[in-house]
Parts: sequence; C-alpha cells; structure tokens
Amino acid sequence: MGKKRLVMAKNGDFGQIIVGCKKGRSECFSQLLELYSSRCYGYFYRLTGSPDVSDELLSELFVRLVEKIGSFKDGCFESWLFKIASNIFYDHLRDKHKQKKLIAGQADELGHETEGIKSSNDEQIDNMQIQLGRLDMDTRELIMLRFYSQASFKEIARMRDEPIGTTLSKLHRGLKKLRELME
Amino acid sequence: MNSRYDENLEALFGRFLDGKQAKEAAEDIGKGEQILRGYPAPVPDDVLLADIKGKIAKALSKKKDNTFKWAVYRVTAVAAAFIILATISIKLFEKSPIASITPLAIWESVDGAAEDAEWAVFTARTEQIENDTLSLKSCENGAQDKEVTELESDLTEMDSDFWKG
Repeated sequence: MGKKRLVMAKNGDFGQIIVGCKKGRSECFSQLLELYSSRCYGYFYRLTGSPDVSDELLSELFVRLVEKIGSFKDGCFESWLFKIASNIFYDHLRDKHKQKKLIAGQADELGHETEGIKSSNDEQIDNMQIQLGRLDMDTRELIMLRFYSQASFKEIARMRDEPIGTTLSKLHRGLKKLRELME
Repeated sequence: MNSRYDENLEALFGRFLDGKQAKEAAEDIGKGEQILRGYPAPVPDDVLLADIKGKIAKALSKKKDNTFKWAVYRVTAVAAAFIILATISIKLFEKSPIASITPLAIWESVDGAAEDAEWAVFTARTEQIENDTLSLKSCENGAQDKEVTELESDLTEMDSDFWKG
C-alpha cells in the first residue's frame, strides 16, 4: 500500500497529496511522511547525532506541517519543508543552550563543577558524525540542507536569506574541509 | 531551477570565479557529496512512523476543533455587530428631526366622532357666511347694516371658538 502511494506521488500526483493535506486528510499526510521521513530524519540525525532527539524533531516537524500546510503556496515543497525543519532544529539548539546555562547556573550555586550535557555519548557514532562535529554549526547545517533537501543553490540561498555567492562559497569551503577530515 | 539536478554547478561558480577555479569548485562539491552518500544516516523505524501518524491524526482533530470554534466565533461576532448596528440605527431614526417637527396631537387624536361634529359645525358656519355674503350683495340699503353686523359676529365667533380646537 505504502509503495503504491509512493509510486503514485512520484508519477506526478504530488499536487493532489498537497491538496488532500490542505483539506485535512490524514492519509495524505501519511503519504508525505512516507516520502520525506528518511530525508528529514537524516537531516536531523546528522545535525544532532542523536536518534532520540531526531525522533522528537521529526515528530515535531510533521505536527508543525499539519498546522502550517495552509500557508504553503505554489513553489518548491522540499524547500518549504526543509525551511521548517531548519527552524525546528535552531529552536532545539536554542532550548539546549538555555538548558545548559540553567544547569551550569544550578551547579555553580551548589559549588559543583559542571560536566555539561552529554549528548548521545552512549550511542554509536560513525566517522562521518565525528568529522561533521568538527565543522561549525552553520556550515554543517548548510551541508545537510543541501544534501537532504536536494534543493538548488538558488533555493537554498533564498531559504537562508543570503546571496547565492555566499551560499556557494560557504558550502564549497565546508565540503572541502569535510573531505580533508574524512581522508 | 528548484532541484539541484537541474543546475549546472560549473556555470554557477563561473559567475564568481574564473573558468579553471569554477571547474575545480564544482568538482569539490561533487566529491564532497559523494563522501556524504557513502555514509548514509539511519532511517526512522516503523514504530516511530506509526507514532508520528498518531500525532498527525491528533493534530488534525485539534485543528478541526479550532476551525469550528473560529467559525462559531465569527458568526457570533457578525450577529453581535448586526444587532448593535440595528439598535443604533433605530435609535437614530427615532430621534430624527423630520419626525420631531410633526405635530404630535394630530396623530394622537383618536376621537373621530368629535372631530366630525366640529367639522360639521365649521361647514355649517361657512355656508352661513356664504349665505350672508350673498344676501348682503342682494340687499337693499336699509337692510344692509343688519347683514353686515351678522357677518361680523359670525366671523368673530369662528375666530374665537373654532381655532381653539
């Protein structure tokens, strides 16, 4: 059933899925989930390095999709979807920083040294994840946005509100550095 | 050009770099993405997907409830606005200057019989005056003084009684 829907969507009935979503049909949202869950999960996983956090962020993305689908106009759906994903990731990052500060503050009050928040230390992390961690967050997010959204540079530049030359330059430097780290 | 598969990277870099550099940059991007493809990220499991579908259904139900509530609020607001406008309009109409200059006594009178009687008296006196005028015109000099006096008394009576209502 799922595969059949996927084929239907890829064959050009994607517009109907979006119309169905706008009408509030849950089966259309399920189709979107089948189409994009892997890519969106990969995006979150490569940015956070944590399956648990990626699970949460993916859930949040699709719940937010239900709330916001009415505001999607004609255009590139992937760009729109990954723009929301990007916002969710940065919201998560801000919350994490707040949490860190709070924990550090409480530890200072108690006179203990802070160990910081351990993020997914117990989980198996591949070499890619380790090397990605050495890049700054903005570059890492840009690389993942490009890789998982499959959007053009023009679209990515628009999503990030920056000139296309800046996007090209940042991504080029980031990927070159990642390649060096991986070798 | 929404998909990256449609774009020519070398041409894109060529807008900012010279030919050789643009070609190298495009190759660097290609090699970098090749490495990324060599390390696929994990995929979400079926339990997570089922859980998300449940959350979607819940969010949809909540959205429908909210839509209904908003519809009710909107209808209520429109009805309230209509009632307020109607009330204001009625008040304004009641206080309109055209309505206030109309003599109230005319419209309030319901005593038709009394008004008919007065009207009959008025008609009779008018006829009397008419007769007096005619006889005055036809009279001889001797009777003229008496006729004039009667006419004057009729007019005085009408002036004093009739117009007082």
